[in-house]
Amino acid sequence: MRQRVRKALVSAALAATAALGAGAAQAQNCSVWLVENSRFMGVPFGMFHPDRSFIQGSTDPKNNVNTVDLPVNVGVIKCGQELILYDNGWNQTDYHKATGTAHWSPLSQQIAQLGFKASDVSKIVLGHGHWDHAGSLDEFPNAMIYIQGEELRGIEWALNYPGHERIRATNVDKGGCNRTPACGYPPKTVDTIYSKVLRGKAVIVNGEMEISPGVKIHPAFRAHTAGSQLLEVPTSVGKLVFGSDAYSSWEAIRDWEVANVQQTDSVQQFLAYEKCYKITGGYQNCVAAHEPLSYSAKYPLTQNAWVGMNGARLAEIALAPGEPSRKK
Amino acid sequence: MSTFEVARGSPRAGGARTLGLWVVLAALAAFVAFAAWREMRKAAPPLYAPATAQDFGERRPAQSAAEERFSQALWTIHADVRTAAVRMSFAGLTYKMGDGDRTSVASKVAPLMEVFRQAEAALLALDGPVSMQPTRSRYMAALALYRQASQEMIKVAQDGSDAHLLRAQEMSEQGSDILLEVGEQLWPGEIRPN
Repeated sequence: MRQRVRKALVSAALAATAALGAGAAQAQNCSVWLVENSRFMGVPFGMFHPDRSFIQGSTDPKNNVNTVDLPVNVGVIKCGQELILYDNGWNQTDYHKATGTAHWSPLSQQIAQLGFKASDVSKIVLGHGHWDHAGSLDEFPNAMIYIQGEELRGIEWALNYPGHERIRATNVDKGGCNRTPACGYPPKTVDTIYSKVLRGKAVIVNGEMEISPGVKIHPAFRAHTAGSQLLEVPTSVGKLVFGSDAYSSWEAIRDWEVANVQQTDSVQQFLAYEKCYKITGGYQNCVAAHEPLSYSAKYPLTQNAWVGMNGARLAEIALAPGEPSRKK
Repeated sequence: MSTFEVARGSPRAGGARTLGLWVVLAALAAFVAFAAWREMRKAAPPLYAPATAQDFGERRPAQSAAEERFSQALWTIHADVRTAAVRMSFAGLTYKMGDGDRTSVASKVAPLMEVFRQAEAALLALDGPVSMQPTRSRYMAALALYRQASQEMIKVAQDGSDAHLLRAQEMSEQGSDILLEVGEQLWPGEIRPN
């Protein structure tokens, strides 16, 4: 009897080892860099992060900063031979004056600093379809884009909404979106997304999807826009979750505060935060799109940083085994 | 009988009138004091002094009154054109996503062609200074591209060929580039960080 139990235990241990081995073969650690595509300069802090609104004379560090500079961060993810971008920055230089931008360069040239060619990019996951996150698609002709069907349906819903000035898909007020339900999609941005769809270079995602072993899209509907989506990436420093504007501010994730409230349902934004806590075990590995502390020790994940072309910054977040550092 | 005569009529009525006058004077004094207090409050430094949306981004160079009128009138046209341009892209996009057949593309785009045509007519009729002529010409070029794109898209209903959609998309994108260019010149606050 005892022998039989021992035999069963040994078999179970072997099976578990085999299962772990198979898992290890399937899982992969990706290398990850963060690229600052541009920086919006002098944005009133309270416009971006309401709980951090400036109060004149305040000594509270939460309320004594008037303006912040917001990076436009793009994730560069290398998993095996596959090169994936999370978000896509923008390249319409006509927006420069409109947005008070500095340190911009074409994204294809920025990733060249890491030794990658635009033609190497095989997939682009759009955290959402706003112009500053989906605005360089034409620089990556080989890449397949991944966008939630819900994002497109959200825009179409607003386009077809019958006659109310606050419910619309494009901003028709000078000065911005004014929190209309589906704003921030100028004709040029929609044209380039449509171009990808038309040329068979788009995957319309509905909910979750694994796009490479261990690299998973998670829906975060209405966490910023109708079809916002997160990206889970396995790395040597643990799992990361990219959040685009569902995670505009890393400090907001840490402190459980809303940020970049445009078409955001605040409850859904918090649920998106919770998704990162659940997947990564905390807030440290949540990758924010516009965190003012990016590329500094105050946002530790991004602190291994350097300054690249036109004063824009880059960070090396994680390296897969055998992957050489690309930090210069 | 005049009011003055009534006032002089009886001593009792005169006393009441004097009292009334004092009441009115007191009310006026209270009103002035309240107004002065309000003004002083307004002048005090505000607790919140956040930077405003206008504090970032480059400001547009000053325009003459005639240029400003032209810019505002074009904005009204621009608002319709932007929405129509996005609608046109979505007509193709949803078709490619399997929502509706090729005739639905034509039925969605035909009204948009009319929007572009009307915008061209409105822009031509717009009174504008000579300094705005290059802007008008550029915007007219964008409208022509959008109109031609819509005409091309509608042809998909006849033969189902994606070649029409591809040609139309390229024209539409060129039109959208011009819209950005004009927007940067006339309405620098049009686009905000998202």
